[in-house]
Amino acid sequence: MNASEIIRWLSPELILLITGFVVLGADLVMRRRDEGRTAAVIALIGLVLALIMALLLAMNNPATIVASTFAVDPYSSFFKVLAIIAVSLVVLSSMDFMKGKSRYLGEYYALLVFVTLAVSIAVSATNLLLVYLGIEFLSITSYILTGFLRNDRRSEEAAIKYFLYGASAGAVMLYGISLVYGATGSTDLVAVGELMKAATGPEHLLGVAAIVLLLGGFGFKASLVPFHQWAPDTYDGAPTPVTAFLATASKAAGFAVAGRVFITAFPQFTPDWMAILGSLAILTMTVGNLTALKQHSVKRMLAYSSIAQAGYIVLGLAAYNPTGGTFTGLNGMLIYLFAYLFTNIGAFFVVLAVERYAGSSEFSTFKGLGKRAPGLALLMTVFMLSLAGIPPTGGFLGKFYVFAAVVEKHFLVLAAIAAVNAIVAAFYYMNVIRLMFFQDSEDETPLQVSSGLNLSLVVSAVMVLAIGILAQPFIAWAVESVQMVNTRGF
Amino acid sequence: MTLILFAFLALIALAGGLGVVLSRNPVHSALSLLLNFASIAVIYFLLHAQFLGVVQVIVYAGAIVVLFLFVVMLIGGNIGPYRHGSRTVTSVIAVGLAAAFLALVVWSVVQVLPMSATPVGAPDAGSVQAVGMALYTDYLVPFELASLLLLVGMLGGVVLARRYQPFAEDETQ
Amino acid sequence: MAIPLSWYLIVAAALFCIGFYGVLARRNAVAILMGVELMLNAVNINFLAFWRYVRPEEPLGQVFAIFVLAVAAAEAAVGLALIISIYRTRKTINIDNIDLLRG
Repeated sequence: MNASEIIRWLSPELILLITGFVVLGADLVMRRRDEGRTAAVIALIGLVLALIMALLLAMNNPATIVASTFAVDPYSSFFKVLAIIAVSLVVLSSMDFMKGKSRYLGEYYALLVFVTLAVSIAVSATNLLLVYLGIEFLSITSYILTGFLRNDRRSEEAAIKYFLYGASAGAVMLYGISLVYGATGSTDLVAVGELMKAATGPEHLLGVAAIVLLLGGFGFKASLVPFHQWAPDTYDGAPTPVTAFLATASKAAGFAVAGRVFITAFPQFTPDWMAILGSLAILTMTVGNLTALKQHSVKRMLAYSSIAQAGYIVLGLAAYNPTGGTFTGLNGMLIYLFAYLFTNIGAFFVVLAVERYAGSSEFSTFKGLGKRAPGLALLMTVFMLSLAGIPPTGGFLGKFYVFAAVVEKHFLVLAAIAAVNAIVAAFYYMNVIRLMFFQDSEDETPLQVSSGLNLSLVVSAVMVLAIGILAQPFIAWAVESVQMVNTRGF
Repeated sequence: MTLILFAFLALIALAGGLGVVLSRNPVHSALSLLLNFASIAVIYFLLHAQFLGVVQVIVYAGAIVVLFLFVVMLIGGNIGPYRHGSRTVTSVIAVGLAAAFLALVVWSVVQVLPMSATPVGAPDAGSVQAVGMALYTDYLVPFELASLLLLVGMLGGVVLARRYQPFAEDETQ
Repeated sequence: MAIPLSWYLIVAAALFCIGFYGVLARRNAVAILMGVELMLNAVNINFLAFWRYVRPEEPLGQVFAIFVLAVAAAEAAVGLALIISIYRTRKTINIDNIDLLRG
């Protein structure tokens, strides 16, 4: 493989890397005179270029390993596209939101570009070494972004909690990696998969222990239940655009890495990790939904709801079917994550618009939104329906594929618990719609929404509906994207 | 001889570790951490990982512990009641979890891994050359990523730790 | 006489548990961060011991340990910066007292 080929395979990452530095440089030149607008525009251009390159690469159905550790395959391309779209929307909405809130807006946009790079590396890693580095890079950048509002004590509190949990989770995951290395002498995922094939008795238990420890790290990113304590406070206190990122792209990275590592490196442990993930799914859904019911602010309710959603998403892996078929579980997870991306980003952005106006996101601020901002209320309705999984939204398609995989595997208890949870969840999503349209507020002044935020809201809503109504192209893409490279790095 | 040396180092490392988590004074914690890192560096030499041993001394003992001490001093050696709120319930749970983990690991190590395995060949594999070759060939992507990670860490340090000023102050000049 | 591999692993496991205990039981943010550093060091002993005893011909274990060091450095920088900024506004770094967000 020569240099120009390597550059071509790595083009999305290289573009992101260069963009990050250009943003930092441009901010230096502008000396913060324009409140970060130049930086944001450059970041957006870079993200769009990277998106185009990632899509072009994905179209060739590549299956290559670059530089021994980095996979270019449909699976990684899917998550790269997802992350780049998410961060682009976050940048769009930040242009207005962050104005006047920080002196370091150039750094803010540069970090957003770098965090995209972190996700795209983590989802492409075929070596536990790069998996670890990618996840830690993603985490450290996220801590900084979470604590970015220096004049807001809630933001730094969110960051310190996120940091303390994240650092410990990273160390636990690392211990798991060291056990894998000790048992096989390798950290290449495919090599580990081959060397662990004959594991029986105590060796098998060692493998299971390693899986549990690894899950400490992945579950932390994906906010699965025993590792979720940071999530509500962090989602609540972080700058809302950053919350939208954490709840979508960052979470998707956790699932993507877990999927690749478990499927490639532990194929003969499939029943074990499926059982573990299945029980985590039950815990996550139940705890998330029951706590979401008790919340008083929409942002915090969405925080718990996004924990509950992680429970549905992990069902896809818990019902993984390696032999193929229509519902392999994995494709359900991808569809779910893609629909969930637009839904959740949209919902958090509506909160952002209300918050900007009312100063908080208490339930009372949503009262009468149907009169004060009919457009916004309508969009929020679309997002709530999608979160509840009601057709014709994208959320329905995702839930359908995941639940179908569970039923096809005959995990009937799991399916029943998931269904009950979905009904409970529908209750609090509908409550928001009820507040917006059937409750009056004293305040009747119309709400203004900035153009950048408006654009990202409309894009999200259109995509949520498109995924639900057009369905077929998205399903086809997700089915294509479950392919991972399965050759050794070196 | 090496056995005695190893036992001695291991004891110091564990004592240092206990000192970190049990000490009442944050400065003592940081100094115990230094003791722990230094003895681990010597353990690396026992393992013929000379390069890592040196790096351990420079980075951990030289930089990270100093950073800790610096912060402890900066926010005042007396950061409130240092051990305040170490509630008995959490402590018991913590001890239980840690002990369970230790038992699990020791058991699995004894059961599975080559217990009496002795080191094999390649005495110079711990040299700077061998490590450098691997870093710049097979692990080039992680290596570059690590440099970016350090840059981001630096950015974060600046953005988060600088004294907060309302944003519009120095832009008018 | 050579030291058996298991000795290294047991020391590492014990150190990891001490660090883990520190993370769970301490309420002071600096102390928790020190606990995490202990855990990372324990893992590094594991990596080097496995490298020496399982596959010494390939320096993967050492490479991994170097990266762990780099990550630990970046993490400590960001974490301590956060702790300083928290201390400036609240005059405490006890995580039980950092509780604006509760629900």
